[in-house]
Amino acid sequence: MGGLGTPSGPVLACGEVRTRLLPTSDAVDERTAERLLRLRTDERVRLSRHPNRYAVSPGLLTGVDCRPPSVNGASSRVVGTVTARAVLVEGRVLQSSAHFSAPASGPDRRRPWGHYLGRPGCLIPVGRLPARSVAEGFLAGPGPHELDVGSIAESLMARVCRHRILDFDLPLTTVNTSLRWTAVPAVEGEATSVLFTKADDGLRTVALRLPHGTAPAAVAGLCEDLALHDWLLTTVAYALDGLPAGHEDSGLPKVLRSLVDHLLHLWMPRGHVDRTLHAVWEELDEHTGYSRQWNVMGQRIRDQLVLRAVRSRHQPSAWD
Amino acid sequence: MLVLAASDKGGTGRSVTAANLAYQRSLDGDDVCFLDFDFGSPTASAVFDLPDAVVGADGRGLHSYLQGRTSEPLRIDVWARTEHPALRDRPSGSGRLVLLPGDRTGGEFPFAEADRHRFVDLVLRLRHEFDLLFVDLSAGRSYAADLVLAATSPHGGLGRQGNRWLVFHRWTRQHVMAAAELAYGNAGLVRAGAAMGHRPEVLSGSIRFVRAAAPDLESPPWSQVSPAQYVWLRQCEQVLEELAAARGICKARVLASIPLEPVLQWQERLITDEDVHDHGIAHHETLRAMRDLAQRLTDDEFWGPW
Ligand SMILES: Nc1ncnc2c1ncn2[C@@H]1O[C@H](COP(=O)(O)OP(=O)(O)OP(=O)(O)O)[C@@H](O)[C@H]1O
Ligand SMILES: [Mg+2]
Repeated sequence: MGGLGTPSGPVLACGEVRTRLLPTSDAVDERTAERLLRLRTDERVRLSRHPNRYAVSPGLLTGVDCRPPSVNGASSRVVGTVTARAVLVEGRVLQSSAHFSAPASGPDRRRPWGHYLGRPGCLIPVGRLPARSVAEGFLAGPGPHELDVGSIAESLMARVCRHRILDFDLPLTTVNTSLRWTAVPAVEGEATSVLFTKADDGLRTVALRLPHGTAPAAVAGLCEDLALHDWLLTTVAYALDGLPAGHEDSGLPKVLRSLVDHLLHLWMPRGHVDRTLHAVWEELDEHTGYSRQWNVMGQRIRDQLVLRAVRSRHQPSAWD
Repeated sequence: MLVLAASDKGGTGRSVTAANLAYQRSLDGDDVCFLDFDFGSPTASAVFDLPDAVVGADGRGLHSYLQGRTSEPLRIDVWARTEHPALRDRPSGSGRLVLLPGDRTGGEFPFAEADRHRFVDLVLRLRHEFDLLFVDLSAGRSYAADLVLAATSPHGGLGRQGNRWLVFHRWTRQHVMAAAELAYGNAGLVRAGAAMGHRPEVLSGSIRFVRAAAPDLESPPWSQVSPAQYVWLRQCEQVLEELAAARGICKARVLASIPLEPVLQWQERLITDEDVHDHGIAHHETLRAMRDLAQRLTDDEFWGPW
């Protein structure tokens, strides 16, 4: 199937990305990353080293035949597969990402499975797709008996996390985030747009309008990158929030070290994002000020480290 | 770390004490999650003062999650939602305090293998976000206790996590015997755990007892009773200590004794600093006992293979 908004292509793509620290005391090497993400025997784990170490599992398909989410309770039905994959960044941050795309309409009667399986990651409506209602409903979260893409992402996450090589000796507590996204083609002649929201419990939503022809898989890649950087910010902000503001006696708080050891070097926006979508990141960054906030926090951590180092040199410790 | 709060009998003070421990640890800066598996009589929402927050729990609580009816169990941020006046302003330096309530209607139910997997996945996922997870189990060798026992066995998925059991009991003959039976009896945790693959000495080393609502004879009102009463009380105390030791609850296995606290006698609630220092309604000893116990949960000196 073609890109968003092309004649035979989808009119809507939706997905969810869950982001966590890999549950180990240390980042894992490339071989371990490969073992963790080898979810299928017939397809290899994709590894790349530039601009940072990045491993991607083969795609897994989940067959569905159900009601899509909707805001107005419009009854409709979609059949096909949702595709999911796991991503490991620098052997340290684990993401699971599930998405589907859907055309404006499909056959009026449900066809045999064979009809749907030829188009992996595609959900075909029986009849017409109430695209707008589905997009809004998707961001609001599934109701009972509606398609739950988040749970597909979560079970993939859980599957990777159950691996016996993970020691669960986590260096710091973090926030588990979920990012739900929808993408529709921008109206001809109009600019692309991105609408980002943050809710409680680590839930984020992103509503995108993108150029015609954008491949759903590229959108999923963009959203994984957004989710990663939002998670980094959330996690570092959370860790700094609980930090005592420089009590004289306190040694180097463990959490500062953990941030430096495990997270600070991971900021690399657009590292693995399709070129055509770089502008979306920039627009989002301009609205949210993410990069500036990250730089400020990074500087604050380094300042704290320097201050504490200076202090410990000039003050005889209680043990002398 | 997973802290499993169990008791043989009902009404031992298990839920109220466990909730207070969770509260104390989060005050200390730990990120704490409280899972209400007390499917028979959920009290956590009352203790944390969350009257309306749990109304939404039907169909989204822990029962529903474990049985696969919802993929996201309801989470309630206690600091944000509580109506307890002393808790509304979250103290600086405190950690997260989150309640995962049970469904309001539900009761006990037998678990299937798939439920154990869901429990394991949930705990693993919460491990990222929390330093301490408290699980309040229903009284007795409940289905919930079996589920947890299976999940924490070496091949159950959570076998390599630090898991610690607290067995709560009141300070009476019947309660002492029942608590010992729950831990070491024929149908107790250690035997049942061994059948599921636990190493008995390891499991036994992760079980400690908490005497809840135990009168402290050295402080008022008990220290001020008539001499005859005092002597009689001391004798009873002595007999109880001997009984406990004979049943395997030796001193080293008693993690704490929480004094009988009038405030808790009247109300299921958190004991706060204000209750003791500003309002003067709760005893300092109670607060201190809760705090000490909260610290001991992660102090290896109090835990070991005996
Ligand atoms: N230290 C204490 N002093 C006095 N009363 C207490 C103390 N601890 C708990 N209580 C009271 O004892 C009663 C039973 O406590 P709680 O509900 O915590 O017990 P439980 O073991 O969880 O019971 P259940 O089996 O019904 O869940 C409550 O009214 C509680 O407020
Ligand atoms: Mg209870």
